[in-house]
Amino acid sequence: MHAIQQQYWAVRDYLSPVLKESKFKEHGRITPEEFVAAGDFLTYKFPVWTWEKGDASKAREYLPNDKQYLLTRGVPCLRRATSLAYTDEDEDAERLLSFGDLSSTGNEADEWVETHAGRPSNHDSAGNVGVIDDIPDVDDGVSGAMGGLSISKGGEDAIPDIDDIPDIDDDVVEEEDEATAAPSKSQPKVITADEVEVAKGNLLQVRTYDVMITYDKYYQTPRIWLIGYDENRTPLTPSQIFQDVSADHAFKTVTIEAFPHSATLQAASVHPCKHASVMKKVIERMNAGVIEEQQAQRKGPNSNSGTSTPKDKQKKWLFSRRTSGGKDDKSAVATPTGEEDVEGMRVDFYLVVFLKFIASIVPTIEVDSTASF
Amino acid sequence: MPIVQFTPFSSLVEPTFWHSLTNLKIDVLKLEDHALPVNATYSTGKSIVDRESGQEIGLGCTISLGADSFKSEQEGLSTSTTADSHSVTIHGLFKNYNTLEEFKAADKTALFNQLSQEIWESISSGSTTKLSKFLLITFADLKKYKYYYWFAFPAFVAKPPWEIVGDWESAEDVLGSDLLSRIHTLTSASTPPLPFFLVQNEPGKKVSIAPVEEYSKFFEGVPDEHRTIAFLDPSSSPSNPGWPLRNLLTYLHHHHPSTSKHRILCWRDSERQNGRWKSRFGVVSSSGAKEDGGVRPTSVGWEKNVQGKLGPRMADLGPMMDPKRLADQAI
Repeated sequence: MHAIQQQYWAVRDYLSPVLKESKFKEHGRITPEEFVAAGDFLTYKFPVWTWEKGDASKAREYLPNDKQYLLTRGVPCLRRATSLAYTDEDEDAERLLSFGDLSSTGNEADEWVETHAGRPSNHDSAGNVGVIDDIPDVDDGVSGAMGGLSISKGGEDAIPDIDDIPDIDDDVVEEEDEATAAPSKSQPKVITADEVEVAKGNLLQVRTYDVMITYDKYYQTPRIWLIGYDENRTPLTPSQIFQDVSADHAFKTVTIEAFPHSATLQAASVHPCKHASVMKKVIERMNAGVIEEQQAQRKGPNSNSGTSTPKDKQKKWLFSRRTSGGKDDKSAVATPTGEEDVEGMRVDFYLVVFLKFIASIVPTIEVDSTASF
Repeated sequence: MPIVQFTPFSSLVEPTFWHSLTNLKIDVLKLEDHALPVNATYSTGKSIVDRESGQEIGLGCTISLGADSFKSEQEGLSTSTTADSHSVTIHGLFKNYNTLEEFKAADKTALFNQLSQEIWESISSGSTTKLSKFLLITFADLKKYKYYYWFAFPAFVAKPPWEIVGDWESAEDVLGSDLLSRIHTLTSASTPPLPFFLVQNEPGKKVSIAPVEEYSKFFEGVPDEHRTIAFLDPSSSPSNPGWPLRNLLTYLHHHHPSTSKHRILCWRDSERQNGRWKSRFGVVSSSGAKEDGGVRPTSVGWEKNVQGKLGPRMADLGPMMDPKRLADQAI
């Protein structure tokens, strides 16, 4: 079924026309050119993001060859989104785990249960995704991805069975090496006591994510993809990834699908069907503020008296990046609404805004490095 | 004086690497199990501030392998179009075994020694290009989508060990923000990125950097207090420099045995964040005579597994690759 669905999506994606006209303010959708412009801005302002080519055979012809999708690696995820979820019954309870609890054992699941012993267990069964009623149980026992996951099962998934890994340490003997920094948990041999404290705080193991942004031709919006790694840097299973998705979105808008720029890779993705309307709302709100600011500026001495038709403005949003060099960008960053007589928000900011929106779906993954905006 | 403790490399293997290994195994290698070259990258140590506790959290000392790790330089190492001047590609030896038994029975010590010897010969010949090399042995259980692997990052053991004079300090406090931003400009401009470099900041002269190979010429006439040896540091721990420094110190000691103290700059800034530089600075010294420089020192560096013991790791990609299990979780 899933395969058929994916085939259908592929065909639909193939058949849908490439959006030509810029309408990002009217309905929140953007053209591939605008996606590139916004991506250029993002990679310029936040160098953690880079453009990627992806698999050459999967290249989309409406995007430049070397700008197929955006990637940032190793985005930290400090705690589970499920630990953020709270309902009426929890109002008095502590809403968040303190970070010290997490670090001391590395097993946030246990800590959560311990600190909230009185909590109904069905709410968040030990850090796993809450039981979601409308998903049928699968009884083949293989699927770790299903909602009704028991605690022990989750544990097995997280840590590979020790028996599975061949025990071959007998033939590799390394002498005690005093110059190797000890991992966080064990007591370092030489460092003095107060230094140990520092080391502990800084050597915490956290989950990390590789985050990709692609352009979805059918929905005409960017689309976010996630590949997760656990504290020991082994890939996360779907059920573990869903722990980092806010409960409202897990299993509904976030699914595991084939990554469009790779022949084989599967990744978790936020389904883009609602992106356009949400983006429209956010942009409207931001735009109003930006216009106000611009009008205030225009009254000032630096005002640019030129007037232009709306069509000209749209052209500017589209091509402002190409015509302006790196230095212009800097000024554009400092005074985003400055010199150019563009009314309202520029499309360059689209992805910055988009990341803020995504941050609400995956609240604990720090995708939004754009806090300065 | 406390002994310098280095943060070991920790491997991060992207699922795309296992995908390319699968393709390689099925389409090219088949039952071959000869050693192949492989690439990995590391970049400056990252740390982030936790928004809730305000704590600074370091993100390990990772070395990552991805889809393009099997590609040779001619094919284009990186799919990324914006080359990062603060990320270094290192080369390694890859060996895949056909059965779990062969994987278990592999002569790991021999492979490790072979690689250590290669690094040592490179040090003796005066080159720093092979200071960080790694070994990766794998067994791919393609039917179950399980990948067993074990990394080794050979590093030479100094006897007696290097000691730190005082403590590791913020480079900004010791060297000043000005010098750091100059170094940042210089390193950002260098392509390919320099994993190790020398810095001289003699007053009255322009700050300049040079490859470590040019040590004697570059530092000629430069007073000791203006000689700094820097390396791109993947560690983010304040008091532990990253693994690459180990072999660099071996190199320095081998070629400049008369210098017992080195000013070390652990370069950790790919960009300046919140107006602060994160790089660390320290003076390391070796006390007493070292053993004869001509003999290869012992080396260590097998990666520990999840349990913290010496042993292989396993990546289970079943949940993300097995069509059946993927279909199960799809709505």
